[in-house]
Amino acid sequence: MSDDRVARLLLTQEIAEFLYAEAELLDERHYDDWLALLADDIRYWMPMRRNVKYGDTTREFTREHEDISWFDEGKETLTRRVRQIQTGIHWAEEPQSRIAHLVSNVQLLEATPSVNAPQEVTTKCRFLIYRNRVETETDILVGKREDTLRRAGEGWQIARRKIILDQNVLMTKNLTFFF
Amino acid sequence: MSDPINIRDLGLGMKVVLISGAEAEIVGNPNDGVWLFARYLSSPGDPALVGQEEMIFAQDVVETRS
Amino acid sequence: MAINGTRGYRPGLVDLATGQISREIFVNDDIYAEEQERVFARSWLFVGHESQIPNPGDFFVSRMGEESVILCRDRAGAVHVFLNSCRHRGMKVCRYDDGNTTIFTCPYHGWSYGTDGALVGVPYFREAYHSELDKTKWGLVEVAQMCCYKGTVWANWDAAAPPFIEYLGEFRRFLDLILDGWDGREGQAELLGGVQKWLIPCNWKFPAENFSGDSYHNISHRSVDLVGAGPSGRSRRDMSELMASRKLHVAIPDRGHQTITYVMPKDHVPQAAYQNSPEVAEYFRHCEEERRRRPSANSRLIGAPGEIFPNLALLPRQPRTLAVWHPKSAHQTEVWRFFFVDRDAPQSVKNFLRDYYIRYSGPAGMTEQDDMENWNYAHAASCGTIARRYPYTYEMGLGHAVEDYEFEGLRMPGRVIDLTAAQASEEPMRNLYGRWAQFMEADSWDELMSWRRNDLNSLGREAVAAK
Repeated sequence: MSDDRVARLLLTQEIAEFLYAEAELLDERHYDDWLALLADDIRYWMPMRRNVKYGDTTREFTREHEDISWFDEGKETLTRRVRQIQTGIHWAEEPQSRIAHLVSNVQLLEATPSVNAPQEVTTKCRFLIYRNRVETETDILVGKREDTLRRAGEGWQIARRKIILDQNVLMTKNLTFFF
Repeated sequence: MSDPINIRDLGLGMKVVLISGAEAEIVGNPNDGVWLFARYLSSPGDPALVGQEEMIFAQDVVETRS
Repeated sequence: MAINGTRGYRPGLVDLATGQISREIFVNDDIYAEEQERVFARSWLFVGHESQIPNPGDFFVSRMGEESVILCRDRAGAVHVFLNSCRHRGMKVCRYDDGNTTIFTCPYHGWSYGTDGALVGVPYFREAYHSELDKTKWGLVEVAQMCCYKGTVWANWDAAAPPFIEYLGEFRRFLDLILDGWDGREGQAELLGGVQKWLIPCNWKFPAENFSGDSYHNISHRSVDLVGAGPSGRSRRDMSELMASRKLHVAIPDRGHQTITYVMPKDHVPQAAYQNSPEVAEYFRHCEEERRRRPSANSRLIGAPGEIFPNLALLPRQPRTLAVWHPKSAHQTEVWRFFFVDRDAPQSVKNFLRDYYIRYSGPAGMTEQDDMENWNYAHAASCGTIARRYPYTYEMGLGHAVEDYEFEGLRMPGRVIDLTAAQASEEPMRNLYGRWAQFMEADSWDELMSWRRNDLNSLGREAVAAK
């Protein structure tokens, strides 16, 4: 196998392991450690989706920075959300949900400047989030994530996350958790 | 029996030949794959239709001509 | 479900004398079914906003009660609201969220309708129907009445209902608070793109009564206040202008609309808000100045949660949003949330507000999330046999409402409870459910327009007195 292919393989695995470790933090409720994985200038965006006519390439998703979306925010608001859970009196997360993030189909899209010495990568994956709450409340949310990761020391930080949830009418009563 | 034609994206000005033998020019396409608005250019079975604008049903279209 | 006359709503299930309301009205499937006929089939319902359908052929698929409807603008520019169901065999004629079209075509047998609702395309009309079908009788079902008010579109299936403005009565000024500009100019509201739609597991009346004016549940939102999600980074709202005001509950009897509102003193200059953004703070300072320059009934009013009967919640400020609580079953509601800004506000202001709206309201809203949790489990805990034997209490402030309320020359309509000291009351809920009970018992709109009888009576008395 060529050097580039090996580098690509290793980098893809490294990215996947980063995403699994991130999921671990969220599932185990280590929110402050999770916040540390977010770049200070992170954009965290989950557009809403419309049912549009075949061939319409512009209106299926609400627009970042322009329309109402489910999430369209940065680190400050994400931090407030964590702090809200940590008050212990955010009733929508008190008692806290049980949650599992399944991450799969991890693809390395682009690595700059190179796969051998990447400073920034774009990656795409699928997620299945299982959320169970109180007695029998259960939600399963499925979709894709497009992330931009930036080198931070030996590891990575998330500079940008676009969450593509495969729903139109949101079928869960709240989004108190992180994607 | 000709193959079915997807009329959804046929352009304005194109001609369609109908199962009746009539020919019509597309003047409007709602892009639903079911209907066209067309003006009859010829209509052997019913000459009164010539010049008329009618709604054409997808199943009646057997051929297209530019 | 047959309409079977009185079910003893008053005083049985809704006892306004004691302020006790049975849990049955929230959890009972039969009552829910009857609501679809008696409430939703004859009330004015919010359908959408004209800015969603600016051009001929534009459409937005909306909801009235449980049913899908199409809001559209026809080729001549007229606005319509149609039932989204083919007259032939029922298939939805539009399953896109919105768009532009020349005709609505049913995929089942190909019937198609113009944007004015007329049946225009019937396959094999000559051959199969022998040209005998009377197309004029089979157009899309259109609402009996429609009203466009400052951009908002309302519709009613009942031809006997009063016109929308009359339906609003003296509540109109509170709807104006959300639709007029921050600077007091009429009708400046523009809808932000993207309507939030999501499911909540509770009866629609839980959110309806909350937005009617539940000023008692701040403890529920304490976590948001603690983390400072408000537009100045403190609390969840900027409160400075509210602190100087009288806080009121205003309930419009006979209409079933009610709201919290704040009335500023006569010469009050609001302190700076939106401190997290100097540009936004300056914009609002300028708007407040303009508002004071334009003397109007509303220049001293600050909006707060309110409810237009039956299921339209309005919040003119912080955030600026309408919500419709669409019934899906006794136990489930589909919420549609619409957000507004002034159409000519600077883009930076629109962006700032949008960010605030998204983190405040909706399923990702740090504030709304806790409301929904309460509604979810209040409903769940009320379904059981034993629970249903015990009514809810809505007696807070019972007997303490006044009419002809006035504060420094500004008069308030309806029945008012001053909350400045009292903090809270349940007058708005009593008003909402009193009206709901009237709808559930009335066989026609004649029984629901007491104000017309009062007007006639007072005219009669005047005539007698004049003789």
